[in-house]
Amino acid sequence: MIEIKGIKKRFRNNEVLKGVDLTVEEGQTVSLIGSSGSGKSTLLRCINLLETPDEGKISIADLSFDAKEINRNVRAKARRRTAMVFQNFGLFENKTALENIMEALIVVQKKTPAEALEIGLDYIERVGMEDHRNHYPQALSGGQKQRIAIARALALDPKIILFDEPTSALDPELVQEVLNVIKKVSNERTTMLIVTHEMDFARDISDKVAFMSEGQILEIGTPQELFGNPKEERTRQFLDRYLQRFTYVI
Amino acid sequence: MGKIFDFEFMISIIPDIIKGIPYTIEIAVFAFVIGIGLGFIGALAKIYNVPVLKQLTNIYVSFVRGTPLIVQIMLIYYAIPIFVRLINQRFGTDWDISWIPALVFMLVAYSLNAGAYLTESIRASLQAVSKIQIEAAYSVGMTTWQAMRRIVIPQAIKVGLPVFANFFIGLLKDTSLAFTAAVPEIMGQAKIQAGRASRFFEAYIDAALIYWVICIILERVVAYVEKRQHLTEKTGGVKA
Repeated sequence: MIEIKGIKKRFRNNEVLKGVDLTVEEGQTVSLIGSSGSGKSTLLRCINLLETPDEGKISIADLSFDAKEINRNVRAKARRRTAMVFQNFGLFENKTALENIMEALIVVQKKTPAEALEIGLDYIERVGMEDHRNHYPQALSGGQKQRIAIARALALDPKIILFDEPTSALDPELVQEVLNVIKKVSNERTTMLIVTHEMDFARDISDKVAFMSEGQILEIGTPQELFGNPKEERTRQFLDRYLQRFTYVI
Repeated sequence: MGKIFDFEFMISIIPDIIKGIPYTIEIAVFAFVIGIGLGFIGALAKIYNVPVLKQLTNIYVSFVRGTPLIVQIMLIYYAIPIFVRLINQRFGTDWDISWIPALVFMLVAYSLNAGAYLTESIRASLQAVSKIQIEAAYSVGMTTWQAMRRIVIPQAIKVGLPVFANFFIGLLKDTSLAFTAAVPEIMGQAKIQAGRASRFFEAYIDAALIYWVICIILERVVAYVEKRQHLTEKTGGVKA
């Protein structure tokens, strides 16, 4: 279970997170939606400490810490319990698809090359990329890169996978193959937190959907609640705009 | 009156001038290795904005790039003896400066020179690796050093290889200035032979040809290494 309490983050004069609380139960998929600049990605990056929150408490499974106590040791522990899938893939370009998956297993988790290979082959197959295992990222399409990135995250066996707009950098025709893989992962009860602009997808796979606006979670609920009957005016406005439910006034 | 151009003399002194090659190679290789080390430290100081060290690096790079190599050689040549004397005075030691061979002075001078130039090349090469890969490396739990060693440095070497190789070739030619400190490298040997028979043009033609041959060989080696590195591009990005 992941629990975030009162997370605040400021860049210079810009307060990006204004005290965010969020709980993701084990096996749940939670989606974060909201306009650009509402702090969704920053929140995600505060969980694996790519950004250091200024205030607040975070607990990830057996690890709990306060923003004030973050040091190298806490960072290492938090990152061992999380994995992230980036918008721009972030594959290691000097490693093949399979090596990308195996890398952290060997270097961070200190598995033997044989163990890492076995796990790597298992996960590359799960994302349907076994035929491309010896390809370098430069030879893969965006969708294929993202599937490898997902396999890399899964192979770490993290407590939670953080997806940061995993389909935003993809050509439209490649979005579906990646969404299918994420959906499969979600159905296997992997704990996930997804920042996404794919509303239909969020509605489809999420146990809970949270709407973020101006550095706060304004509303959180089941997809039915949030999409069907949003309580907040701003949520409604956002969804109307996003789902193109315009009211035309001529 | 003798011959205008003594071809036989030119051939006959080649074995003597070749004796200078080990010195040339030694200075170039030593300075390159130490320069890579200094350049790496300087590059990290600049990239990670390390206080004090970054400012020192900036001054160091600016000074070396803004002064002629020959001047730097002279400064080192006279600075080290003064430095040793200062130590002797302060700590009551009795180190003899004449024990230090001129070659050592040159190794120091060329290393410092190479370090400054390589700082910028190494910084550029390291920063050519996309930031997202470094974040990804952190996100899977790698430490800063692991990300450097396993992800960033291998790619930076590939990016920077042509620059480093050209720098090495340039450095090798620049070692010819070491003769000013009486190091008997290629140019030093040529000067000795030229002086003996008062046949300067012949000796310097030998020197030029020897430098040229060495550089051609090095260029071939670099081309071969680069070709091997681009092997994966030929196979369409599949591991061979």
